[in-house]
Amino acid sequence: MDLSWYYLKGILMFAGINMIPVLGLALLTGFTGLFSFGNAAFMSIGGYTTAFMMINLGVPFIPSLLMGGIIASLGALVIGKCTLKLKGDYFCIATLGFGEALRLILDNFQYFGGARGWAGIPLKTNLTTVIVIDIIAVIIMANIVRSRHGRNMIAVREEELASQVIGINVFKTKMLSFVISAFYGGIGGGLLASYLGFLQPKMFALTKSTELIIIVIFGGLGSISGGVIGSLVLIILPELLRSFANWRLVIYGVVVVFIMIARPEGLIGGKEITFKGIYNLFKKIAKKNKKDLDTTREGGR
Amino acid sequence: MTNFLQQLINGLSIGSVYALMAVGYSLVYSIMNFSNFAHGGVIMFGAYFGYFFITLYKLPFPVAFIASGLCAGILAVVIQRIAYKPLMDRKAPFLYFIISAMGVSIFLENIVVATIGPTFRTYPAIFSEIPIKIGALNIGRIDLMMFVISAICLGFLIYLIDFTKIGKAIQATAYNMKASTLMGINADRIIIIVFAVGGILAGLAGVLFGMKYTVYPQIGNITIKSFIAAVFGGLGSIKGAVIGSILLGVIETLASGYFSSQYRDLIAFALLIFILIVRPVGLMGKVTEDKA
Amino acid sequence: MKKKALALIITGIFTLSLGLTGCGGSKKASDTVKIGWIGSLTGDQAVWGQCESNTVKMVIDDLNKNGGLLGKQVQLVPYDTRGDGTEAVNAVKRLTGQDKVIGIIGPNASGQAIPISSVLEEMKVPDIATVATNPKVTIVDGKVKPYNFRVCFIDPYQGAAAAGYAYDVLKAKNAAILYDVADDYSQGLTQFFEKTFTEKGGKIVAKEAFKTGDVDFRAPLTKIKESNPDVIFMPYFFKEVALSSKQARELGIKATLMGGDGWPSEQLISMAKDAVEGSYFVNHLDFNDPEVAGFRAKYKTAFGKDVELNGFLAYDATNMLIDAVKRANSFDPIKITAALETTNMTGITGKIIIGKDTHNPENKDAAIIKIVNGEYIFQQKYAVH
Repeated sequence: MDLSWYYLKGILMFAGINMIPVLGLALLTGFTGLFSFGNAAFMSIGGYTTAFMMINLGVPFIPSLLMGGIIASLGALVIGKCTLKLKGDYFCIATLGFGEALRLILDNFQYFGGARGWAGIPLKTNLTTVIVIDIIAVIIMANIVRSRHGRNMIAVREEELASQVIGINVFKTKMLSFVISAFYGGIGGGLLASYLGFLQPKMFALTKSTELIIIVIFGGLGSISGGVIGSLVLIILPELLRSFANWRLVIYGVVVVFIMIARPEGLIGGKEITFKGIYNLFKKIAKKNKKDLDTTREGGR
Repeated sequence: MTNFLQQLINGLSIGSVYALMAVGYSLVYSIMNFSNFAHGGVIMFGAYFGYFFITLYKLPFPVAFIASGLCAGILAVVIQRIAYKPLMDRKAPFLYFIISAMGVSIFLENIVVATIGPTFRTYPAIFSEIPIKIGALNIGRIDLMMFVISAICLGFLIYLIDFTKIGKAIQATAYNMKASTLMGINADRIIIIVFAVGGILAGLAGVLFGMKYTVYPQIGNITIKSFIAAVFGGLGSIKGAVIGSILLGVIETLASGYFSSQYRDLIAFALLIFILIVRPVGLMGKVTEDKA
Repeated sequence: MKKKALALIITGIFTLSLGLTGCGGSKKASDTVKIGWIGSLTGDQAVWGQCESNTVKMVIDDLNKNGGLLGKQVQLVPYDTRGDGTEAVNAVKRLTGQDKVIGIIGPNASGQAIPISSVLEEMKVPDIATVATNPKVTIVDGKVKPYNFRVCFIDPYQGAAAAGYAYDVLKAKNAAILYDVADDYSQGLTQFFEKTFTEKGGKIVAKEAFKTGDVDFRAPLTKIKESNPDVIFMPYFFKEVALSSKQARELGIKATLMGGDGWPSEQLISMAKDAVEGSYFVNHLDFNDPEVAGFRAKYKTAFGKDVELNGFLAYDATNMLIDAVKRANSFDPIKITAALETTNMTGITGKIIIGKDTHNPENKDAAIIKIVNGEYIFQQKYAVH
């Protein structure tokens, strides 16, 4: 299949842009065990903030983007205060509620274009920006996960009561995770706004939040590489398989159920792909081959 | 005053629809302790079953109605077997159940779009369209019918839960699954029964919904309202689900009528958030122990 | 770990690009030429999207049977946008960059038509939107978008036509509006209906909203009933029209109902029957026109379903593109775009004369249709003053 670079560039950018909210959600759901159905709301906050800063205040792209992330984080502080004390199921429904509520508010907010959308956003996103931001995002995320905070998050995911007993401030840990996921979401939203030049509240509806969750699950809960690879696969693959458009979502549904039943660890399986890991894999294969050789040599006993 | 009464009637009518949807959902939650997001899909299938039974097979309404319910019940059990049972056997964290449910829901909605197509279907008029007039108030016949049918179904359900042996078994399993197994209750069988009942109710709700409005693949999205109603009334409590639904319908309609209609959904979500902050267990919910 | 993650990403992207570009050779120039189509094949708008895609396919099949376009066979490349603007952008990037189409038909929604303009400009391929009625599709900040065109009239025109007809012909003094706040088409029509109606001296006594997907309108309708309007403007799509009109009648509302081009459909009559009897709406064409009837019958035979309004506009859009290619006598999209700017043809939705500065059909007649005995009866052509 002969792919035009223009088209490929577009898909890669799109995958790269979506990768960031996915990474944020991977931290929240994969590492901290909080299942959010409303992270698309943070994308929309970031997107609209970035657009506002660029169009109305004339602020250049990167600062606007950062502002988008910051405002989204503030949103998370507020929403988190209300919802993070709730148990799993309730948290899901609450985030779903907030996600939809924000979208409804934006639909009615005519200053930002309401449901008809906001056109004319300057197009500043290009492939280099996306790749650079992606790399920075992954590095920061990796550092967070390796840090004490990251370990706290995993502890909370595994055994909330026990974590509390050993002195981890569960609420603060959850809030940190939530805020970071919001920041990532906001950046993703801002990049998207400047990629399309157009924003509409329904781009960030429940469907989008659901898509993000599906990618995180597919890639594997508790794995950054999973988030990266999940985004690349689940965004690029459907593009290439456009002819099956009608059945795309049907297949998504089946795949999700299948993963839960057969391989809940997702594609990567909770581990990270590292060069050391690949090296060890080769060593293991080499050792096995050597053992086979040895036994055949001694064979024929 | 008439305005208020009319809006009240509107609200009660919507509330009874929510109630029938919310009850099945709450029932499953009480046993399995997770939100069955696929419930909406079963409701939608119920609406389609009814439609085809009536138009294609020309069955009389009562027969089609019950048949749709039964088919929906079977569908619900099939879903449980395929998408949830393997997870239960593995004692998977509840997160997985929700994800699996979500997958089922996406599958159900889109399989209809991909095969039958997304065109709206209308039920042939079963009940007269002329409303009943009481003074200046108008009450649709279908609404009255829906209210009555919902009441009957719910009454039957309450009878089942509170007064029969199976009902007691269900209550026991909901309270503590392990202990009930020790008492000789076949938990697996109870789960199947619960899903079947929930499915039947969903199917019936679907038919009523299709009759009153129309049939289309995205009906499942309306069930978010019933989730809110169930949470509002207290997840796991049947009576709570009913009361929550009626209240939600009325509050939504009154706020929409007196305040602003375009914010109706927002009000529903605000209610949800309010309840989650103030009294997360809902109006009639049981305070459960912490899932440690 | 950090360095390794970094290395991983870079290698990942490289491998992917290598893998994808590496396989397969180049395509040779063949005797087919490609035309693209985008719209909702799945999602809420799937009914209309599928109708459009069927229609375009039908027109192109006919074209191919009769010798093709400038000697070459035409291949239709349809992509699903799921009703989403982002998907539309991806689809158009693929159509222009990958499939190398000479022109694109669709989409049917402004929310998809607006974001694709930058891609069209970059790749210099024209697009003809079918029912995207937001003015911003072709003109933003006073400047026309060089590669966007449309074949329908725009919101301002439709809303104004409805208001004008209500005031001038139906002699309505008070009007109420029920609209969909989550739909740009509905918001657009509402805005311009209100403007024209009040300019003419009428009064808007109630303005209530609902959200797409709502099925129960009795709360806002009860409020509207209290305000006692002569007409109620319902600028949205037939599914919600059927439901809201039925509920309105159930509540005892006797006012005349009016709407826009989102109304007409066989389904509306079968769903709402008596509720919409005696209602008016603004449409693009007269359904009983013999040429129109011929197309309707053909569609029904081919696909077994009734054709929706989108079908008529998709039909005209496709023919508009074909006409432009013939006049440009070339498959170069830039030349085709220039030819599109001077389009002057008659389609089944009326005269299509494209304005060079607006890329919209200028002075397209609006047809006022009344529903009598369950039939769509053409009343008159109405032009906005």
